[in-house]
Amino acid sequence: MKRDVILKNIFIGANLVFIVLFLIWMGCKKVPIVYTTSDVVNITGYLDEHPDTFSEFREILKITGDEGFLGAYGTYTLFLPTNDAINAYLQKIGKSSVNDINIDTLKALVRFHLLMDTLYTTSFTDGKLPVLNMYGQYLTTLAVNENGITHIQVNRQAYIIQSNIRVGNGVIHVIDHVLEPAKYTLAQLIENNPRYSIFTQALKATGYYDTLNILPSQNPDTLESWLTVIAESDSVLQAAGFSSFDALKARYDNLGNPMDPNDSLHVFVAYHILYGALYLADIVSSSSHHTLVPDEVITSKLVGQTVLINDDVFNGVHEPGVVLDRSFGDISATNGVLQDAMGHFTVKVRTPFPVYWDVCRFPEIMNLPQYYQKQNYSFTLNNMPSFINDPGPSGVNYKVGTTFVYGDYLEIPLGGPGRSPWIEFKTPLIVKGKYKVWICYRTAKGCGSCTNVNQISIDGVPLQRTMNFTTYMPTGTDAQMEAQGWKYYTYPPSANWASQLVGTIDIKTTDVHVIRFTTLQGTQNTNWLDMIEFIPVDMDQIYPRFDQQGNPHYQ
Amino acid sequence: MKHILFILLLFILIAGFTSCKKWLDVKPQDGIIRNNYWKTKEQLQAAVIGIYASLLDNSLVQDLFVWGELRGDMVVSTQFTSNDEINIMQDNILPSNSYTDWSPIYRTINYCNTVIDFGPSVLQNDPTLTEDQLNAYLAEAYAIRGLMYFYLLRTFGEVPLQLKATSSDSLIQRIPKSTQQEVYNQVMNDLHIAQIYAPYTYGDRNEDKGRITRYTVFAIEADTYLWMDQYDSCIAMCDSIINSQRFGLVDGTNQAEWFNTLYYQGNSVESIFEFQFDQQKLNPFYNLLISGTRHFVAAPTVMDEVFGIDMTDPNNKDIRGDGGSVNAIDGTIWKYAGATSGSTMIMRTSDQSYAHWFVYRYADILLMKAEALAWVGRGQEALDLINMIRTRAHALDYTAESPDPNSPEDISTYILDERAREFAYEGKRWFDILRICKRNNYELINLLLNAVTKNVPGYLQQTVMNKYKDVRSHYLPINQNELLVDPNLKQNPFYQ
Repeated sequence: MKRDVILKNIFIGANLVFIVLFLIWMGCKKVPIVYTTSDVVNITGYLDEHPDTFSEFREILKITGDEGFLGAYGTYTLFLPTNDAINAYLQKIGKSSVNDINIDTLKALVRFHLLMDTLYTTSFTDGKLPVLNMYGQYLTTLAVNENGITHIQVNRQAYIIQSNIRVGNGVIHVIDHVLEPAKYTLAQLIENNPRYSIFTQALKATGYYDTLNILPSQNPDTLESWLTVIAESDSVLQAAGFSSFDALKARYDNLGNPMDPNDSLHVFVAYHILYGALYLADIVSSSSHHTLVPDEVITSKLVGQTVLINDDVFNGVHEPGVVLDRSFGDISATNGVLQDAMGHFTVKVRTPFPVYWDVCRFPEIMNLPQYYQKQNYSFTLNNMPSFINDPGPSGVNYKVGTTFVYGDYLEIPLGGPGRSPWIEFKTPLIVKGKYKVWICYRTAKGCGSCTNVNQISIDGVPLQRTMNFTTYMPTGTDAQMEAQGWKYYTYPPSANWASQLVGTIDIKTTDVHVIRFTTLQGTQNTNWLDMIEFIPVDMDQIYPRFDQQGNPHYQ
Repeated sequence: MKHILFILLLFILIAGFTSCKKWLDVKPQDGIIRNNYWKTKEQLQAAVIGIYASLLDNSLVQDLFVWGELRGDMVVSTQFTSNDEINIMQDNILPSNSYTDWSPIYRTINYCNTVIDFGPSVLQNDPTLTEDQLNAYLAEAYAIRGLMYFYLLRTFGEVPLQLKATSSDSLIQRIPKSTQQEVYNQVMNDLHIAQIYAPYTYGDRNEDKGRITRYTVFAIEADTYLWMDQYDSCIAMCDSIINSQRFGLVDGTNQAEWFNTLYYQGNSVESIFEFQFDQQKLNPFYNLLISGTRHFVAAPTVMDEVFGIDMTDPNNKDIRGDGGSVNAIDGTIWKYAGATSGSTMIMRTSDQSYAHWFVYRYADILLMKAEALAWVGRGQEALDLINMIRTRAHALDYTAESPDPNSPEDISTYILDERAREFAYEGKRWFDILRICKRNNYELINLLLNAVTKNVPGYLQQTVMNKYKDVRSHYLPINQNELLVDPNLKQNPFYQ
């Protein structure tokens, strides 16, 4: 009996031991527990994963102490040079290893390759990236084709080998050469290039050499911290008849002091400098750019593949423009971009000329011969002609009618619920100067009590008088009417076709401008706009009048 | 007692036996399994019709439109265009782009493979099925498989050739890409089989235009030969269709009638093969091209530069332009959006969006033949054919060109322009540009570069142009998901 108990105890004990052993054995086995929510590495982690290709850059990060912040979360774009790229760079600067390089140089190098945003190749353009790199310069991109193979080139220095590698804190593009910051300011860049010897002398004589020789961070004038110079090479100037700087000076220097802002040589140089860092891609993205000459712009356009500046139609005459050279242009400087003009250009002295603008002569309707001058057509917000900016909810109607100039007019419903509160039109090119603005309309009341009072503004500047599409013109002699701000504009004159003077405007730049009708009071559909006239203040305001075919009739 | 026991036992046995059978039956209750299918010729026919049904899949037709038009110069985006679509228009095509997903095409290919693999077994089960009938059904499957691989060849270049039905998980194959030449050979193999057995007619106009006839096969073959610059074979195929006297151009005297017959109703005498959308199966174009949130409209240059405008006489117009392919006023792509044409233009409503997808028309045959003729020294005949198309369409003198009959390049350029007018928005533009420009080692690549840069924003022009200068970029990348599931696939070189 006792033996039995002992046996039983032994048996239980053995079992217990076995269970304990089993538990210990189980406990020893490591249970894989995932502590992280994602196994995506950050930039530093990615470099650690690929020591074969990126150990050198990893080493640089270690020296500069940037490994920490590139290992933490954030949104970066890194252009990552391979070991081969860094070795080639070392060879170029005559060092044997990255440890030999000055730490500040390395810090600058890392910052030059880093951007504070995530940029995939889909957002690359022909020009600069949308954000500055952390060094404070713009990087440029371009696809280039070499022997039938296309690569994306960064800063004209390196090809992207592998793109769009997504890591935890941004995106990596692997590049085959180290990117190096621009060393020279615009002034130095132009001076160092023998192509521009005459232009350099002009820069120095006018004092713009100094303007172009300031780093953006040190420039007290933030507007001028980034600039673009459209330089003219010696050969261009020679072709234009200026074999030397003296010849150029002789032609333009009218006051004898090129430093004087009113001196023509000063103006000539200032007209070649634009605000902002503008690569060709930026130049073609906008139709005009301000120059350092106050209120003077250059216009730009892309025709086929050619970038043209100042290629405009003035008063019905086409003035051929100047081509910007792609091969010599788009050169980055520390404070901007250098472009190269293939022709001589300068500020043109233009006298203001009147613009008799029939608002219905726009391509969207003129390309529809079955409608143009024949039948009405409604433009909805979805297919608004490109020169109109209409916030909705109402669209505009193209309408035909007798007496109207060119036999047509634009009906612009305005004013409050169900109708647009305002509408904007892009004007034709207007030369800078002082103009009287006349709104030419057919008086029409949508209902007995309807009214529609509008304030007219140009480029945001309100004009002096309001106008009302439902107001009938007072009658009297031409002079009496003009004194009150009214005139006939149709030929033969017709009392219901009124032209009202809404004010005088000082147009500051020779450019396309925006005229806006903002309804102040009343609401109706039948706002029948026919023409808008910009007539220089010193010219005859009453004639010409226009017949239904659009022909002018003078007194 | 013993009897009762015996009967009881028997009853239990019977009950048990029958119930057991049901209990062990694991066949699906709501479907039919392969072992029970492929028994009758009706089932075979249903499977073949199933292939056609798969062609009406929304994403397939949308893919064909996007692949064929977006890289051309005739559509532009709206504010509702998706990022993937804009990226294709601006040649920023990454393997993550959803339009690089080729699964809608391979789905149809798998339906064809299934019919080709299992169809012949019906012959043993259904004595009423004749060998000829079987072959005719198989010919349809072969032809569609050929057509699908031809689309893949033109879009991706190199693709894996899946020729066996994937009817169970164990049969999923991981196959590498075949070269363009191999894909082409496979397309030709399929088409040659189809050409022998496909019927000339099904005895019904709608079936003749909606199913593969021998003329459809000729048309696909002509297109494929032309793609591979086999001009004599292309001409022979075109002649087989032309000489049959079964097809003709729809009269264009009255634009409204012409539009109604050819595009609104579809299945006209001019048609060779169309995807048969109808009220039950609408096409995806209402969202894409018609509604207020449409993704694409005609490029603003289309009326000016492609069709031309007679400023003095509004009645003198190319019927394919305003009211044919587009609505000149707001750029609506009228071919799929129009319910009427001519003097009153009414748009299709959402439940009317069943315009067919036009794969081949007789006009296509004439212009394909013209293109082949130009390259075999029969330029004048080519010009005559082009003029035939132009006369029907009342093309404006403004768009007439007078190329040297002895210059195949000049005639090809003219044909490319004419094809832009004739097949506007029929999913052919990019393929036409690529075919004509790639000939003779990309002799005419400038035409392609002009076309692709026409509608891109100025700040991207140089990048887009330089990308297209790399001819490897003319084929789409393989979708990243395909690369993940099939390690044997290698990304196309431009996108590596």
